[in-house]
Amino acid sequence: MSDHKNKEVNPFSPKLSREKVQENLMFGLFRGMTYFVLFCAAFLFWDILSKGANKIFEGDGLINWEFLTEHPQTLHVIGEGDEEIKLSSSNYYKLKDEKILAKWNLFAKSPGFTSNLSDLDNEMIELQKEWTEKSLQFTNAEFLKKERDNISNKFAFWSDLLTDINASARDFEVEPQEIPGLVSEFILGHFEKERSRLPLVETKIILFRAQQYSNIEEPSLNTLKEIEKAYNAFLMKIPETYNQAIKDFGNEVSLTYEDFTLLRGPKEFGRFAEALVAYETIRRAFLDIETKNWNSIKELIIPFKQAMSVSLPSRDYAYSGGGIFPAIIGTLLLVLGAMTIAIILGVFCAIFLAEYGKPGKFLSLIRLAILNLAGVPSIIYGLFGFGLFVIFLDWNVSLLAGWFTLAFMVLPIVITASEESLRSIPQGFREGSLALGATKWIMIKTSVLPFAMPGILTSSILGVARAAGETAPIMFTAAYAKRSELPWEGLEHWTDFFFQGVMALPYHIYVVSAKIPQNEYTSDMQYGTAFVFLFLVIGVASLSMLLRNRLRKKYRW
Amino acid sequence: MHNVTDTSPNTSIDSTVLDNEPSIRIRDLDFLYGENQVLHNVDLDIFPKEIMAFIGPSGCGKSTLLRCLNRMNDLVDGARIGNGTIEIQGIDLHDKSVDVIELRKKVGMVFQKSNPFPKSIYQNVAYGLQIQGIKSKRVIDEKVEESLRKSALWDEVKDRLNENAYGLSGGQQQRLCIARTLAVEPEIILMDEPCSALDPVATGRVEELILGLKEEYTIVVVTHNMQQAGRISDRTAFFYLGKLIECDQTKKIFLNPNKQQTEDYISGKFG
Repeated sequence: MSDHKNKEVNPFSPKLSREKVQENLMFGLFRGMTYFVLFCAAFLFWDILSKGANKIFEGDGLINWEFLTEHPQTLHVIGEGDEEIKLSSSNYYKLKDEKILAKWNLFAKSPGFTSNLSDLDNEMIELQKEWTEKSLQFTNAEFLKKERDNISNKFAFWSDLLTDINASARDFEVEPQEIPGLVSEFILGHFEKERSRLPLVETKIILFRAQQYSNIEEPSLNTLKEIEKAYNAFLMKIPETYNQAIKDFGNEVSLTYEDFTLLRGPKEFGRFAEALVAYETIRRAFLDIETKNWNSIKELIIPFKQAMSVSLPSRDYAYSGGGIFPAIIGTLLLVLGAMTIAIILGVFCAIFLAEYGKPGKFLSLIRLAILNLAGVPSIIYGLFGFGLFVIFLDWNVSLLAGWFTLAFMVLPIVITASEESLRSIPQGFREGSLALGATKWIMIKTSVLPFAMPGILTSSILGVARAAGETAPIMFTAAYAKRSELPWEGLEHWTDFFFQGVMALPYHIYVVSAKIPQNEYTSDMQYGTAFVFLFLVIGVASLSMLLRNRLRKKYRW
Repeated sequence: MHNVTDTSPNTSIDSTVLDNEPSIRIRDLDFLYGENQVLHNVDLDIFPKEIMAFIGPSGCGKSTLLRCLNRMNDLVDGARIGNGTIEIQGIDLHDKSVDVIELRKKVGMVFQKSNPFPKSIYQNVAYGLQIQGIKSKRVIDEKVEESLRKSALWDEVKDRLNENAYGLSGGQQQRLCIARTLAVEPEIILMDEPCSALDPVATGRVEELILGLKEEYTIVVVTHNMQQAGRISDRTAFFYLGKLIECDQTKKIFLNPNKQQTEDYISGKFG
């Protein structure tokens, strides 16, 4: 047997033994476990990065800046499938406004309609000219008589007006050639009077501003009554031809000024509409109503209504549109504030423990307390902050309360890390300093603390960055689910800055993951936020490393 | 056991220092770390402008005694004087009226391991002045140059005063530490094995420097290196197991010691 022979020959040939099996088994276990951890970590990062990238790299540009710079909003999705357009609320309404404006512009250019205000003014001037010319064709008496015959039956106030004019002409012994100017003045004056006397006519007649009455869902009884009342008043005030118009379009006429759900749109539109209304009212007062064919008015109304009703059907998803800018700002503020407080408190505490404290029962007790603090669950810190800062100190849900709660949460880490950093400074620096006549504080200040600072800062910043990811401590103390103002907006006094709640990334993730109905769009939001948050934490961590390296270079020994 | 009073150091003082009052007077000193007594009944006088060397095996208490002289032992928990007094210029160091800060300005110390601060050479020397609140750049500049000259480092570092002190060699670092000590104008300089981490060439330079400083300062050197003690010191004190065995002129200690233990140690029979 060659095998056997070989064994005899080679004393180092492999032998199967219990130890060897054990060795292989354990090695496999160690390696397997490590690979498993690696796999989990890779999966986690891949999951967040790939899904988050959907949101971050969405849209036309390289990065979806809107996501980083906008407030969270409702997402409006228009269309289906490939045609689908996703719009945040602000963009959705912007689009709608644009459509309204475009239609309005189109409409304003339609025949019979003046397209803009200056045209209106011009038309006004033309009209006055026309009136003047027309009036010049008659002698005083003839003119007035003819006008009265023409109009008095149609406009009640018109006859009053003419009577007024007559009376004035008599009283002031006006020369015939002055009459036309006077008349025009009187008419305008009278019109103003009418305006104030009959506000209903003024506002109700405004067909142009009418929004489909049927759009208003279930008007209250009061509204209905008021509408009826106003409607009746309206009917009494206007000539028959207008009555006809109201009969045709009555249920589509909004009857009190307040009842108008003013159409969204540029401010100019409102002014324009108002001018238009004034113009049309005057026009009707001036012109022979019979010469104005009702059909042409109808022609105007219908396209107007069409123009005004822009429909942009969309499916809406709360919190899934817009961006997370306020949450980014809020988290940065929370991290900065908590870091400052934690480092100040922690370093002072660590200096006492490392440099001044005499070993003994008291010091061990303090250390035990600190160790225990490190093990307290974060939700308990949240409750502690809520009880102490929010309720007892009456800071409300505020930045300050969040800062202190987070700071207390990371204090154990900061104290332990700082103490370690302080202890790692060679004793020689302390002795050298003291031997030169330094007091203890000067010794610490000049030859311990500066050299310990890199270590203190790194571990503290890392600790705080980690704590910044906690939701529990801030959900009762500092975080708002949604806030439309940024922290620096709308402050009455600078101290208000500290007493306002903020949005925060971890809490935002919680809200969009657990507080709203889930769908594909909210999931994009969740992962997008997680993506940004991850990079924010990585950013803070690298900053701390950078800082440490710089300081280390400065103080090497 | 020998009775230390038998070897009263006063009996063997160099004529050059005889006419002076002792600069440091140690009497009946017992010193303890907690319950562990490390110095027993030490009596010793050190005179102005002499170099006193402490020799003895490790753990014999020579470093402890040195650190008592500027109360560096205050830093050690549980360290205390059991009995006896240390007087410097006639004043008891542990009197309530003594400010340890002022004491350390007068009694400078150079440590075994060179411990410059990780700052520039200039800042290292200026440190002692700056913490005293001296702001004038001119005064500090002058003092830095003077101290560096005294410690024979000036020519080597004058062009790179603003470089990190850790760029210097070990011997230079140790001389920098001496310069740093000189800058605060001490009267007594304590040196705790100043050359133990240095190579022979660097050691030679530091020794040279110590000899030069003798003109102005009282120097106490702890050393393991008996040749070094022989080269630089005027008098030598031999410690063993926390007791001062013998203190005498260095020549006498090395050539003709009174005590058998001293002779055994010098000749390398133990230690």
